[in-house]
Amino acid sequence: MEAVRLERAVPRYEGVVVIVGAFGSGKTEVALNLAAVSRNAGSRVWIADLDLVNPYFRTREAKAALTRIGVEAVLPPDAYLYADLPILTPLVAGVIQRTEGLVILDVGGNDAGATVLASLADAFAAAAGHGRALHMLMVINPFRPFTDTVAGCRQMRASIEQASRLAVTGIIGNANLMEETRLEDIENGYRFVRAFSKESGLSLEMITVPESLWMQMAPVRFFCPVLPIHRQLVPPWKRPAEFNGGSNPRSFLNKTVVNGE
Amino acid sequence: MSKVLMKGNEAIGEAAIRAGCLNYFAYPITPQSEVAEYLSRRMTEVGGVFLQGESEVAVSYMIFGAAACGERVFTTSSSPGISLMSEGISYICGAECPAVFVNIMRGGPGLGGILPSQADYLQATKGIGHGDCRMLVMAPASVQEAVEMVMQAFPLAEKYRNPVMILGDGLIGQMMEPVSFRDDLKVPPTNKDDWATSGMDTRKSTKRNLVKSLYLDPEVLNAHNLKLKAKYDRMRQEEVRYETYNTGGDYRVLIVSYGTMSRVCRSAVDALKARNVETAMVRPQVLFPFPEQAVFDAAAKSSCTHVLSVEMSMGQMVEDIQRSVQGRRPVHWYGKCGGEVPTPEEVMEAVEALLQS
Repeated sequence: MEAVRLERAVPRYEGVVVIVGAFGSGKTEVALNLAAVSRNAGSRVWIADLDLVNPYFRTREAKAALTRIGVEAVLPPDAYLYADLPILTPLVAGVIQRTEGLVILDVGGNDAGATVLASLADAFAAAAGHGRALHMLMVINPFRPFTDTVAGCRQMRASIEQASRLAVTGIIGNANLMEETRLEDIENGYRFVRAFSKESGLSLEMITVPESLWMQMAPVRFFCPVLPIHRQLVPPWKRPAEFNGGSNPRSFLNKTVVNGE
Repeated sequence: MSKVLMKGNEAIGEAAIRAGCLNYFAYPITPQSEVAEYLSRRMTEVGGVFLQGESEVAVSYMIFGAAACGERVFTTSSSPGISLMSEGISYICGAECPAVFVNIMRGGPGLGGILPSQADYLQATKGIGHGDCRMLVMAPASVQEAVEMVMQAFPLAEKYRNPVMILGDGLIGQMMEPVSFRDDLKVPPTNKDDWATSGMDTRKSTKRNLVKSLYLDPEVLNAHNLKLKAKYDRMRQEEVRYETYNTGGDYRVLIVSYGTMSRVCRSAVDALKARNVETAMVRPQVLFPFPEQAVFDAAAKSSCTHVLSVEMSMGQMVEDIQRSVQGRRPVHWYGKCGGEVPTPEEVMEAVEALLQS
């Protein structure tokens, strides 16, 4: 068994990361937490809310938390934050073409949510033109309807690729039942996305683990980076987790992850 | 019984299928459109029907038609859409057909906004349609409870031959929670041969069934309305449902709240307890019939000096609470109705302001 330090296990990206996936797969929580971890590691980070299909629980609701940790949020103008309209601010095309730092695009669910990406083709081409990497990562929660089988994931990938005119480049395993998630759910979810990774040839870029389970996880047998999730989009009777302070992602970095495969 | 993570709107759609309902007619509107999105796919998998009507008015009559034929049928909409369905609902009540209507409420009046609200309380409980028409109104506070209520709504609709409404605020539709689907809630088929227009050959009967809400003879119409009243009175006897929280000991303020708002209030009750301020809550799970006796009993406790209705409306439930409390305690209101859900801290401030008044 090879022991790896989590510093190496936390996912690191440069360029443009496009987060896609099925409705309710947890794209926004993944995008927000990836932004926080990347910012914490010293990158300049922009996150753009491209969810044009979901009316509640969107990146825009975490605006204050993002500002506190120094992540720049690209959102529709304030006057239209709660409009029931698919508003795509021109700032998004601009931020995709930035020449440094990490740009995260939080896209809406299913093919319907991914359609907007096709309209940004020129911006993606320009970014590629100056050598920026494009990672299109598909978030999968096997506890969600329609992506609970490998066949379902395959179909979801195909429909998202067709709508977005972009190819998925990797997978993010986000197995969770929110606060009812148990360690065995994480392990079963890991096995599931490994199987899909094998079948599809897509790399398993990372899996997520709720911060509450993180401490119980040593020794952990995962063959990929792990992103701890500090849940941000909570109903009004719950408090969002702090990115900094008592549950700072940095405090996890000393933990040892044992690679058992 | 394994759990899945579902958005309230998806879970409501799945629950209807599990209850044996294979007919869904709807027109999309935020914040409930995911029911249609989900069922447009699932209904084809289970051999059911999803048809998008050209308007909510059309949908309400599709519901009437299917219900009259003895089919299990339901629809979902949000506040302005329910207003449009109101005529059809009255016809369905008048014709004594079972059906389930789900209202995932958004802020109003008029077009209002798309964020959560509970401002259709009076419409649902008192004025769902013209004429002497009422419907049983169930108000879930979690996605799991929404699943159970949808599955229970079909047999209740059939028991009374009357529509049943699931009244959820926007959060119930949009939030995601782990849910499981209990097999023991499966609804056995009800014998509808006595009244449904399912065809004499199908029923192997020589009796013609007629479904209608037209009664021109005043004496006959009066008798018909007395029959409907008897059903509503029976609901008052048999369908009251509520939950109490922290009512065991002494408390100074009784909160009455329902739906997701009650979960905020529950957090406030806990946090106030930590500050040595005792409060309690009655949560109506069914809004019509209202749990009058439970609210009366909880308010009548000698330590209780105030009753506070906490709602995402401008106090629409206050009159029902006042009626229940019968003047024994002052009834106050706290709430918001623009789409923001009051926080536990804001509810605590409202309680503390009452105690200082």
